[in-house]
Amino acid sequence: MSLLAVNDVSVSFGGVVAVNGVTMRIEANEIRGLIGPNGAGKSSLINAITGMIRPDSGTIVFADRPIAALPPDLISARGIGRTFQHVELFRDETVLDNVLTGLYSHHVYGVVAAMIGAGRARRVEKETRREAAELLEAFDLTTLAAAPVRDLPFGIQKRVDLARALAVRPQMLLLDEPISGMSEAEADAAVATIRALAAERAITLLVVEHNMRVMMRLATRITVMHHGAILAEGTPDDVHSNPLVVDAYLGNADDNA
Amino acid sequence: MTWRIASQLALSGLSVGSIYAIVALSLAIPFKASRVLNFAQGELVTLGAYIALVLTSYGLPYAVMVPATLLIAAASGLLIERLVVRPIIGAPEFTLVIATFALGLIIRALIRIHWQDNVFFLPAPYAGPALAVGPLRVNPSYLVIIASTGILTALLVLFFQRTKLGKAMRAVSFDPTAARMMGIRVNTVFGSAWALSAAIGALAGLLLAPVIGINPELGHLIIKALIAAVIGGFGSLGGAIFGGLLLGVLETYTGALFGAALKEIIPFAILIAILLVRPQGLWGATPARV
Amino acid sequence: MRAHRIIIVIVAAFAVAVPILGSSYQIYLVELILINIVAAIGLNLLTGNCGQISLCHASLMAIGAYTTALLTTRFAITYALALPAGVFVTTLLGASLGYPARRLSGLYLALVTLGFLEVVSIAIEEFSDLTGGVRGLKLEKPELAGFPLHTAGLYYFVLAVAIIAIRAGLGLRHSRYGRAFDAVRQSVIVAQALAIPPGRTKLLAFSIAAAFAGLAGGLFTAVVGFIDPTEFDISASLRQITFIAVGGLGSVWGSVIGSVILTLLPEALRGADEYSDVLYGAILLAALVLAPTGIVGLFAPVFRRLGGGKAQLS
Repeated sequence: MSLLAVNDVSVSFGGVVAVNGVTMRIEANEIRGLIGPNGAGKSSLINAITGMIRPDSGTIVFADRPIAALPPDLISARGIGRTFQHVELFRDETVLDNVLTGLYSHHVYGVVAAMIGAGRARRVEKETRREAAELLEAFDLTTLAAAPVRDLPFGIQKRVDLARALAVRPQMLLLDEPISGMSEAEADAAVATIRALAAERAITLLVVEHNMRVMMRLATRITVMHHGAILAEGTPDDVHSNPLVVDAYLGNADDNA
Repeated sequence: MTWRIASQLALSGLSVGSIYAIVALSLAIPFKASRVLNFAQGELVTLGAYIALVLTSYGLPYAVMVPATLLIAAASGLLIERLVVRPIIGAPEFTLVIATFALGLIIRALIRIHWQDNVFFLPAPYAGPALAVGPLRVNPSYLVIIASTGILTALLVLFFQRTKLGKAMRAVSFDPTAARMMGIRVNTVFGSAWALSAAIGALAGLLLAPVIGINPELGHLIIKALIAAVIGGFGSLGGAIFGGLLLGVLETYTGALFGAALKEIIPFAILIAILLVRPQGLWGATPARV
Repeated sequence: MRAHRIIIVIVAAFAVAVPILGSSYQIYLVELILINIVAAIGLNLLTGNCGQISLCHASLMAIGAYTTALLTTRFAITYALALPAGVFVTTLLGASLGYPARRLSGLYLALVTLGFLEVVSIAIEEFSDLTGGVRGLKLEKPELAGFPLHTAGLYYFVLAVAIIAIRAGLGLRHSRYGRAFDAVRQSVIVAQALAIPPGRTKLLAFSIAAAFAGLAGGLFTAVVGFIDPTEFDISASLRQITFIAVGGLGSVWGSVIGSVILTLLPEALRGADEYSDVLYGAILLAALVLAPTGIVGLFAPVFRRLGGGKAQLS
């Protein structure tokens, strides 16, 4: 059974069809790349998966349960996490606070307990901080724990974004342009980190990326979208040499890479 | 309820509604231009009335006093935009709202210092005993108010469609960045929007004064104006007018049919109902998904 | 950390000494400050942390005040029960605001709360048989477990409640709920991506704010002994907003500082008579322009240097 099954999903806005009957299966532990030129429908598809928009038709099934009609926070709770293209960190908060917020759903205690500082609340807070510390450690952010995020360099902010997304303990993580804005060296390091991460934590990845070179090295399978539909799907080599893909996309992509 | 009474009520409702409409307009214009809701707008109405009072006491004839009041009010609007709004334009929505509230407080307090809570009456050349129009008895002030609203609307339409400044204001309210890139002096537009809105507010004050008298609490009708703006939709000037008129008429009929208590509640019941069912009002833009 | 602690000790000593050393007017003033602190903490959690604008906080305080007052005067229920009952009723009614908050924000939400405020005002005036209408309701000093609360006793009671409220506020602020509030304020989309339910979070924020307001209202009846609808109008709501705006949005200590300063300010300005409103407005305006992050925001770097380590003042 696929981890994520997108079945004949269509999304349109005011007459424009953004996603046209897309069917896609992602298996556990894949690193699936999603590429396509601007306007191909990638964002709309992603938004449909994460619950930001409701598909006009079709179903989406994650871990054997339908999710298309669920609100986004419930879908996140079911195990789909994400990072954001423009790194939507809580800018005035510290690195630690950002990651702690990500742990909201996993260390629970009641409101009253919080207000009176009950033993249970304090204990669970300690556990939350311990897990946060582990995450910071894994991303080499421990020394920056108390730093307000807004002053940090972009590359480090991306790491924080990733750490925070992982705090949700997702089964599947959606990475939205994780490499954008990085230098080549940073990009290479990021690719290595992401692959290691996926392997260690047994997380399935869905990566949206423009950078073809990165995609080739990162993904285990690639889905190519064009005009709201799937143009091709297969291993990086298959896709790279697919004449349809070369025609429609790769000619442009290398200019962007 | 006879036709006669119904018509009298309609007239009185339309005239109250016209005041709401005018104040709602004066709220909508700076909101469209600079996205600031001016909680001091009520005080600008009050200020207009007191300016008129002062000018009249200097012996200015009505025909001169009116444009003079509007000009002075416009200048005040400009001053406020430059001194209060400009410095805090980047601050969160929240700070701006509180700042305009503080401003209103200051204006009201200053007025109180000079004139205390006395109620003054502004003599207007058209005020007088009720006229007989067919079977109806009509208070001439009501007619002047309604007519003024009509004329104001027509003038504003011309202003926004035909004049350079008006078109610039529309561009800025649509997309300030794009407007700037087209060479429009956005700061000038902001200042003009506030000046215009202060003048319109003063007009409302001028029209109200002969009817209910001048006192520091005139500004309280900003709340009704807000409701009018919500009914019509915040981005829409036509909506502000329609909302004001509708509110005035509904209020008046409710009061006559169901008593004072319900008359007080009905505007807020409408407000809450609209916000729950269709927050963008009749013609406003859909508010961004929360 | 050290300087932080010392200040708290000094303030605490002062607070305890008030009924011993102060005149009855001064005691009354401090009691008002404490009541405002309680209300402000609730409002700040809702607006400063969770980002929900509320113009009806004063009317929630009114609901608490009138409920407590009616239970003690008309139904002869002891204050010890009437006060929590007032909190309970207010919390329920305040929670109803969570519903429109799900779909509305900013200006539109503010207007709904304004509508709520006016409806409560009108209701208080209309049901004058029950509430005393515009003439108000006169109350006797409360009893706690059969013992009438005289000046010092009442003061320490109010002080104790305020301290508990501060503790509760801090507890929430630094808990998962505080983090959820801040997340929803900054980005509903990100909050959802972190499995934080925005609707339920806003509902919680409104409920908590209402609880604090109801508590403040109940205390108000005991301290002031007279309530009428003009105490709880739009100006009162806006005043409470100024407490948190000037003190520091999102900060419990900001609520405290703002309440202290802006409750004392009108008193200090009393000598200026008619100019007091002008000065109040001018000072408020100046504070907003010069210190948009509030007093706490201004002094945060100072505390950071003195205390070391704490990146944010609570």
